[in-house]
Amino acid sequence: MTDNQYIYQAMFLLDNGEVREQGFNAVREWVKSTLEKHGATVKVLRLWGERPLAYPIQGRARATYLLGYIQGTEQTVSAAKHEMYLLGPVFRHMFLKEDEIPAEELTLGIEEIKDEDIEVLDDTPVVEALFEDDGESEVDEEDDSEDEAPEEGAELSDEETKKTAEEGEGEAPAEAATATTETEEA
Amino acid sequence: MTDETPKTPQKFDYKDIETLQRYINSQGKLYSAKRTGLSARQQRQLKRAVKYARTMALLPYSN
Repeated sequence: MTDNQYIYQAMFLLDNGEVREQGFNAVREWVKSTLEKHGATVKVLRLWGERPLAYPIQGRARATYLLGYIQGTEQTVSAAKHEMYLLGPVFRHMFLKEDEIPAEELTLGIEEIKDEDIEVLDDTPVVEALFEDDGESEVDEEDDSEDEAPEEGAELSDEETKKTAEEGEGEAPAEAATATTETEEA
Repeated sequence: MTDETPKTPQKFDYKDIETLQRYINSQGKLYSAKRTGLSARQQRQLKRAVKYARTMALLPYSN
């Protein structure tokens, strides 16, 4: 890897629980300090949105998106990625090389947002929600099974099996007889 | 009469989900170049943008 400086567009997915506990500004400061610790210059770091995920990630259904533009070397980005993978509120990140920083992004820069202004919705883990549904359905099935008659596969006593066998034998010839009469008429 | 068909963007951005969703089907699969009518270069840009969007959970891998 060379020591060339590049401009990177970076996007971070923040854990909503951490954002709610620590506050958005504290979490953003952690991301900024992590990048700067490894030698990157943070030009822009702003809230991109709080939105639902297209698919669940480690039980999370929603996330807070943070968009940034940084300047640094490939080693810088690699080290920052490694730290974010191991620690902190960032559970997914992406760095893309860019030619330049868009002018409208530069004007936004590192804008200050009050924690009260950001609405972070409750991120109920998907896994727990599934277990809750299963629990309810099991209870319903048990209640139904008590009221209903025994199923076909259920074990019957000897007398019951004999009765059912006799009934089956008695019905079969009658059906055969009706079938023959129909053919004769035709 | 006004032409309301959306124009093809000059550059595909993975954050522009509304535009990208025009080029994927209900299953989340990318339409072919024959169907999108894009040039080879644009189709490659689109493919890359959709894959970045999937990585960042902005678009699904499959529905």
